[in-house]
Amino acid sequence: MTEYQLRIQRYDPEQDDTPRLQRYTVSGDHTTSVLDALLSLQQQQDPTLALRWSCRMAICGSCGVMVNGIPKLGCKTFLRDYNGVIDIAPLAHFAVEKDLIVDMTPFLAHLSAIQPYLINDKDDKAPHKQTPAQLAKYQQFSNCINCGLCYAACPQFGLNPEFLGPAAITLAQRYNLDSRDNGKASRMSQLNGNNGAWGCTFVGSCSEVCPKQLDPAAAVNQAKVESAKDFIINLFKI
Amino acid sequence: MSTPDNARKPYHSRMTRDWWLQQRYYRLYMLREATVLPLLFFLGCLLYGLYSLQHSEMQWLSFAQFMQQGWVIALNALALLASLYHAKTFFALFPRVMPLAPPLLMVAGQWLASLAVIITLLWLAGVS
Ligand code: FES
Repeated sequence: MTEYQLRIQRYDPEQDDTPRLQRYTVSGDHTTSVLDALLSLQQQQDPTLALRWSCRMAICGSCGVMVNGIPKLGCKTFLRDYNGVIDIAPLAHFAVEKDLIVDMTPFLAHLSAIQPYLINDKDDKAPHKQTPAQLAKYQQFSNCINCGLCYAACPQFGLNPEFLGPAAITLAQRYNLDSRDNGKASRMSQLNGNNGAWGCTFVGSCSEVCPKQLDPAAAVNQAKVESAKDFIINLFKI
Repeated sequence: MSTPDNARKPYHSRMTRDWWLQQRYYRLYMLREATVLPLLFFLGCLLYGLYSLQHSEMQWLSFAQFMQQGWVIALNALALLASLYHAKTFFALFPRVMPLAPPLLMVAGQWLASLAVIITLLWLAGVS
């Protein structure tokens, strides 16, 4: 067992006006994740600590926190990889509700703005066929777990909360590339603006932090190519 | 007694002006963006040269003299290094935006193409 020092950003809306830092010592071994440490803290030292989690296996996307300033899934990040005091804070660029819990509403609003479902005017009830090659076109972008780490990493979203952001634009690409979908035209109006794909300057940090290696930065910049094509095509339409 | 709704008091943090200094990844991004600064100087030189060329021989000679000064050479060398760095980052990002071939192949292809352009330009300029 090793002793680890954690410095956690606390915020109690009923008492605090600004967040404060609180230090804790937890013991763990080489298998202890940041989430394990936070939960053991909550159970054994400080029941007031508020945090979100569910699956503990990097699939539900609810345990995102900043670890030493970098967005991470708590359950997929291990204490053994850190030296010295480990700083834990709520996800950046979101409003903090309490301690490590942020308000994800803007993120969810951006996701739903791009109509993340198959749009198809065909009225038949028959199943849609898709070849493996057609599946491969969008499959990588369909693995998002909506953890929001990419928004906490994206300075453009931090500067402009109206920016649709990495996950939403990736999701738009995911549906636009799906052979069963015909909704591209209605999604392009979202993607074309400055708050769409063009708000991105390819910082690329979203792809660095993505726990599912979706490469959202690539998706966003592919969306720029689509947006440019869309613009040119519309020039010739009367 | 407070109801759950008005008990909410979300804390909004603000990004500081020096956000880009706080992470290595952001610093590298800003370095990439900053490569445009020495390039502006190079563009200034280029415009000055074109102006001198069409103005008069005297003007051209004074331009040539200007270009030979140590600090001008140093700044232009910096512009060259900066563009090479920018090219490196750009070439690495391009295959992700337009995945036309395996990434390594595309990166190599872009460097080869740049080399071909440089050699052709040198050849056109009469450097053997
Ligand atoms: S607890 Fe589900 S992703 Fe970490």
